Amino acid sequence: MKGLGIIMYSGEAEKFIPLGVLTQTAANLGIPVRIFVTGFAMLYFLKQKPEPRFSKEFEDFVPKIHEGMEKIKAPSWYDMLKEAKETGDVKVYVCSLMAKVAGVSKEDMDPIVDDVVGATFFFNETEDYEVIFI
Amino acid sequence: MGETIKVDAKGMACPGPISVLTRAYRKAKNGDIIEIEATDPGFKPDVQAWVKRTGNELLELTEENGVIRARIKVTAKRA
Repeated sequence: MKGLGIIMYSGEAEKFIPLGVLTQTAANLGIPVRIFVTGFAMLYFLKQKPEPRFSKEFEDFVPKIHEGMEKIKAPSWYDMLKEAKETGDVKVYVCSLMAKVAGVSKEDMDPIVDDVVGATFFFNETEDYEVIFI
Repeated sequence: MGETIKVDAKGMACPGPISVLTRAYRKAKNGDIIEIEATDPGFKPDVQAWVKRTGNELLELTEENGVIRARIKVTAKRA
């Protein structure tokens, strides 16, 4: 695999776990990662983040997940991404359309974000990569 | 002669052990040995995959009382 592209669309809290795990794993293996953040996921890449929201249909399972994560001292998705950026070639891009729609700009983004770009830039960067949609 | 670097990843879950291994590997030199212990059941196949992908050498992989121990010879660092 030449690289991993991840289109992070969902804002549901549980979907950020695979984002963290897959990004860190790829970084550990020396596989470049490009993350394109769009949709409601973008809200969690701002300096001012909303409270995590889990999907409705699994709401009753959330306390168990929390408990389990705490027990194994699992790092948060944010810390996993941060570490992956230190370890490997990982870039986080926010979709310029979504930023515009939400009325936010580069200054409002969390420092983990590298740039605000269009989909064309992302397609070009991930030309030879496997791309997944979360 | 290389150094032996000991890494304790017991209690960590995927991808934690491989992340601490990678962190140790970044500081290591060719000829060094990394000795890592983990309790995550996924570590056994994961460490083999990591070694294969990064091109280093797995000297030993054992499991005793739930502790998986791997000894890896660092051979694939580029100068």
